[in-house]
Amino acid sequence: MSLPTECAAPRNLFHMIATDIHFWIPLGVLVGGLLLLDKLR
Amino acid sequence: MPTEPVVQTPMHATRLRSLQALGIFCGFAAGAWLGGAEAPIKLVNPDISPITVSLIMVFGVFLARWSVPAFIRGTSHVRNDVRQAPHLVVWAVLAGCMWAVANTLTIYAIRNVGLSIAFPLWNTNSLLGILWGFLLFNELHYAGWKRWLGVLGGAICMFGGATLLAIASSHQAAPGKAALGIYAALGAGILWGTMYIPYRKAYLTGMNPLSFITFFTVGELATMTVLAVTYRGARPLWHELLGAREVLFWLMLGGFVWVLGDLFQQYATKYVGISRGIPLSNTNQIWGLLWGVLVFHELRGASQSVFAQVAGGSLLMALGAVGIALSSATEREHSSWQDAADREGQRYGVEGEYLRAGMEGREMKAPELQGEARIASAGGRTFLDWLLILVTTGLFAVLAVMARLPRVEIAMGWAVALTVAMLALLATCGLALWRTTRFR
Repeated sequence: MSLPTECAAPRNLFHMIATDIHFWIPLGVLVGGLLLLDKLR
Repeated sequence: MPTEPVVQTPMHATRLRSLQALGIFCGFAAGAWLGGAEAPIKLVNPDISPITVSLIMVFGVFLARWSVPAFIRGTSHVRNDVRQAPHLVVWAVLAGCMWAVANTLTIYAIRNVGLSIAFPLWNTNSLLGILWGFLLFNELHYAGWKRWLGVLGGAICMFGGATLLAIASSHQAAPGKAALGIYAALGAGILWGTMYIPYRKAYLTGMNPLSFITFFTVGELATMTVLAVTYRGARPLWHELLGAREVLFWLMLGGFVWVLGDLFQQYATKYVGISRGIPLSNTNQIWGLLWGVLVFHELRGASQSVFAQVAGGSLLMALGAVGIALSSATEREHSSWQDAADREGQRYGVEGEYLRAGMEGREMKAPELQGEARIASAGGRTFLDWLLILVTTGLFAVLAVMARLPRVEIAMGWAVALTVAMLALLATCGLALWRTTRFR
């Protein structure tokens, strides 16, 4: 089994995160929240 | 990247039961400390803008989120966690950003519709947490209808109780622009409910809550600072901070107390999942109300119907919490959590023993550890840890000297009684965490 330090180069890491559908749910909600906040100001 | 499943063997039934009980205990302790955090804030002059109040609290939160982990386990453990699962730093910062935006939205919600409508709306976060837990992390899978009834029924019961308590405790609030306030409250609920995705992600992957919060707070402080500077302007904000120096201590103390509650909430999320941990820690509303009614005389002269709402709301919340507490995960449900953990481990290439040790609340086996990880496992605090503890203590001491106790009528006997109750929960739950998991 490979160690995490061997496979977690920054580029690879961001690719893994960007291709994880779970990441886009909170990110989308965060962007929505910021837009709402902007409307409320 | 590993292709084999990293979590294969089911956890021993006795260990599972003890971790579930611990998680539920942490949920109740979280409620007490999150609710108690409201007490110091009640001492602050309402003239200070809510955004500035939030920013000052977040400063206190930031200090606590670094000094408490340094005190409990030392920051070498944080480094070790980052080495094992570096992707979780991004998730933690993202969750911190979400918290700050949600917290700011609540200010607009209270301003526009009053607490009675706003609080129940953003309290829907626990229902959203149940949904995400079920959809994304296999929570409540194979749970059976009794446990579904306990968790979902309990959460709905608590939602009803929260509504009654919010109505009772905000009979003086003036509703304003209704639609905007409702959007703000719902937005806060959705943000907080979704924020638990990164939480669960981290704890299924084996990260220690003490490590997660140190990065969470970076997102929290950065977002809150940007929002405060944008909304107030740098110069007016600075002047307001200077003008508030006599209450900085109380606000930052509120932030510190809140972090202790949040830490218990994180451990609850880790060991019983978001579907159970979050509703349990929402009992903070009962504690907030106890402080308000008993210590700050908030319902003095209120009508009998208000007291009936308080009694009914508290009872509903307590019943809901008991329902959830009695619906802990079965071995079969827990094995489906392990499937979710397995999926995370494979995606991000997390070492199997690290992931497994995290789920079982124990240290990694020594032969698996290498280099600095072995040193971290051996325990002990570094110079940096002591520096963090000393700087935080010193700063709070200076602020305490500058602080003035506002002229607020306080029932000191009740304040002492509630503080003792909170400290007793801190000690017993902290001891249980130490004995069962060594704060893992």
